[in-house]
Amino acid sequence: MLLFAVGIVAFAFLNVGYGLNNKLPFSMVEYLIVFGVLLAGAHVAMRRFAPYADPLLLPLAALLNGLGIVMMYRLQESGRNGNTGNLILPTSAAATQILYSAIGIGCFIGLLVLVKEPRVLQRYTYTLGAVGVILIALPAMLPASISEPPNAYGAKIQIALGSFSIQPEEFAKLALAASFAGYLVAKRDVLALAGRRVLGIDLPRARDLGPILVAWGASLLLLVFESDIGTSAVFMGLFVAMLYVATSRTSWLLIGFVMFVAGAFVASKLFGHIGERFCIWLHPFDNINSLSCPSYQLVQGLYGMGNGGLLGKGLGGGSPSITPLVQSDFIFTAFGEELGLAGLMALLLIYGLIVQRGLRTAIAVKDPYSKLLAGGLSFMLALQVFVIVGGVSRLIPLTGITTPFLSQGGSSLVASWILIGLLARLSDTARRPPPRPIQDEGLTQVVMLT
Amino acid sequence: MNRALKRLSIAVLVMFVLLLVNINYLQGFETSSLADDPGNQRAVDAQYQYQRGEIVTADGTVIARSKASPKGDSIPWQRYYPVPDVYAPVTGYDTLYSQTGIEAAENSTLNGNSSSLDVHNFIDLITGKKQQGATVTVTVNSAAQEAAYSGLKNVLQGTGRIGGVVALDPSTGAILAMASYPSYDPNLLAVQDGNTLNTNDKKLQAQTGNPLRNHAINDTFPPGSTFKIVTSSAYFNANPGNSEQTPVYSPSTLKLPQTTLQLINNDNEVCGNGSGQVPLITAFAQSCDTTFGKIGLDVGGSALNTAAQAYGFNNQNLNIPMPVSASQYSIAPQGSPLVAYSAIGQYSDTATPLQEAMLSAAVANGGRLMTPYLVKSVTASDLSTIATTQPTMLGQAVPANAATSIGKMMEAVVQESDGTGYDFNQSVEGVNIAGKTGTAQNGVSNGKTSDAVFTCFAPYGNPKIAVGVIIQGGGYGATAAAPIAVQVIKAYLKTLGIG
Repeated sequence: MLLFAVGIVAFAFLNVGYGLNNKLPFSMVEYLIVFGVLLAGAHVAMRRFAPYADPLLLPLAALLNGLGIVMMYRLQESGRNGNTGNLILPTSAAATQILYSAIGIGCFIGLLVLVKEPRVLQRYTYTLGAVGVILIALPAMLPASISEPPNAYGAKIQIALGSFSIQPEEFAKLALAASFAGYLVAKRDVLALAGRRVLGIDLPRARDLGPILVAWGASLLLLVFESDIGTSAVFMGLFVAMLYVATSRTSWLLIGFVMFVAGAFVASKLFGHIGERFCIWLHPFDNINSLSCPSYQLVQGLYGMGNGGLLGKGLGGGSPSITPLVQSDFIFTAFGEELGLAGLMALLLIYGLIVQRGLRTAIAVKDPYSKLLAGGLSFMLALQVFVIVGGVSRLIPLTGITTPFLSQGGSSLVASWILIGLLARLSDTARRPPPRPIQDEGLTQVVMLT
Repeated sequence: MNRALKRLSIAVLVMFVLLLVNINYLQGFETSSLADDPGNQRAVDAQYQYQRGEIVTADGTVIARSKASPKGDSIPWQRYYPVPDVYAPVTGYDTLYSQTGIEAAENSTLNGNSSSLDVHNFIDLITGKKQQGATVTVTVNSAAQEAAYSGLKNVLQGTGRIGGVVALDPSTGAILAMASYPSYDPNLLAVQDGNTLNTNDKKLQAQTGNPLRNHAINDTFPPGSTFKIVTSSAYFNANPGNSEQTPVYSPSTLKLPQTTLQLINNDNEVCGNGSGQVPLITAFAQSCDTTFGKIGLDVGGSALNTAAQAYGFNNQNLNIPMPVSASQYSIAPQGSPLVAYSAIGQYSDTATPLQEAMLSAAVANGGRLMTPYLVKSVTASDLSTIATTQPTMLGQAVPANAATSIGKMMEAVVQESDGTGYDFNQSVEGVNIAGKTGTAQNGVSNGKTSDAVFTCFAPYGNPKIAVGVIIQGGGYGATAAAPIAVQVIKAYLKTLGIG
């Protein structure tokens, strides 16, 4: 399966080479070897430390990561070596992406080695919560010289140290998901049962709601303060979904929805930024360069996808570099242009498969903490894909977040690999067979307690 | 918890289905509307991603082609016009955003997207060849076209005035020459940089004489005495038994109704022998305004209108394939003196140079007016012919016997010693030209120099070419316009081996 994934990536690389220069990209072999070795390491680690883990997760993630590297290589070649297009990336873009892949896969392996049982994480519920909030708050607290590098486009979400920058929120998402799973497992009965019934809806007690509201409100406010609406939407969805899973109470969905609408309404009144997103979403073709409603980027992305049509222009055959930020937020449109509808459907199905394996794990695993964590992580991945892909394809208002595994940038890639690592660990727990009865003592009946 | 998880899974499924439906809609159904959006840079670039077809004259001169750009240029093919100013009215230009002329009219054939090329494109696709535009062969004869342009240039260069020449094959309607002055260099507009394009475009727009406008088909001028061809037709329509020898009333001054004004001939000349009755052919050759003013008053405005429309006046729907501005004839109130003026090509009569050529072409072709056309054939990149234009008749401009009479009258203009075109004819050897001069007063109170107009066909006995020339402010038709027509005729007949 993994070989299959590497094979597709190699084929895609060949495609780029022939599509652009009509010859083999000479760096391709090196890239493929490095990538192959990394994946082989991941595979061995998984066999060794999580032998029962879902076998689909690693190949699927590898395929996405590999295609992301291929696209990075293709975009880095744009406007270079006699190729058409604008110069948008340095020559090291693909190599850097591989480096980040290596770090990501390293974290994946490290996680499998260090975290033998998902329940270990439950111990650090409040620690992880605090870490998550601090990670989110960090860029907002730091001076603009560090937190707002020149390429941040208004969002205050990065920490830059020299040429190296990270987006802490990518990791905060994971920490907060783990923290919430722990908190909700501890309090779920109280949250579900205690409280008054108002208008046929069970309202929880205020003191049980407190910590969640605080964490949620804090992260939300910070995100709005940092002008990162996409991530705040993902957080919101994550919390509401986890609450719902923990309590099985529809009232939470209702409360979450009301809070979301209220929050969005207040935010759109307070920040012109958000009203602008709605304007772009509703009237993209009116005036692509207007100051109040600048839809240039979205429209270029749509043109790109339209240009791709059913089968795409072929890797190297389109003009993705016209779309601003095509290497990060809009990478999905680059795939749409060059691989067409067929390619995009394949990508969405890969994401869908990962999410489905995660949810399957959540249902299969017995311990409630793991259940919540697996469900939350899977849903978060789905939501992230929905927000960015829906955004660039004008299904919903566009909010710039990274496309997991595909976008340029280390933080997102590493965080995505950690997410896969967690899912692998959880699925290993879920699928591990019960201890084998000791055959010698034929009469002894082993009673499994779970 | 599992129930909630299952519900969550359904929510996830719905999200992914929504995404899939949306991209299916976007990439399956919206592609063409996205591609047609004017701001779409990719669609603009796509125009230059393959070789646009050539435009070639009937005798094989390439007048527009696509040159390969240096490798690495984002635009692999650059449009190039080898003989820019001469052929600009024919080719038009192909810019980033728009086209004119044949480039516009035959855009889908030239860029290869025409449905008639679907089969070729499909074969190219499976054989791995790049899509290539089709070649458009125009009816233009390069000798005639160059003669027409150089003639206009000689007369008009530096004057700030405009002019146009059109030559037709009377038997088919094929346009043999279509020159306009001042002209422009389409290479200035076939640039890939929007800013350069805008600068050059503004510069050309600001030039006197509006070079971007095709004066041969999109500007109208008063036809002057050439309109007497139409008036003669109206006369023969009203009096079918009469011939060119029929005596007609031709006073030295014509009293006009409802006014004290009198119509006199040019320079107050006497028509014919001064008896007041001359054969129609003499009145035509001498271009007696009194005679034709009287005919106009006799037949009436609506009869003149019918005759004019039969020659193509007031036709809003003529495309060659570029749209042609309609030449105008308006019916003056019945009994008003303006009817007389409209009968001699004044009042609000206007005509394009193309219309002038059509007058002679219809007469030369036995009264059958052929539809003018510019595209001879379309050839795919593998040299197979996609389409060939079949000549069609626009209408019977005038009955055949009347056409013969008018032909004789036009011959008299040039060949008879008292004809208005006789003097310049002395310089023409070997070719028997039949034509009609026009010297059209214009401007407020005729304050400007008259426009010189000439329409003719040749050779008289076996017509091969009909020419219409209009020189704005050129003065006498016989001196300013006719020599250009002769140049064009000679150049063309030479290629046929005649004259």
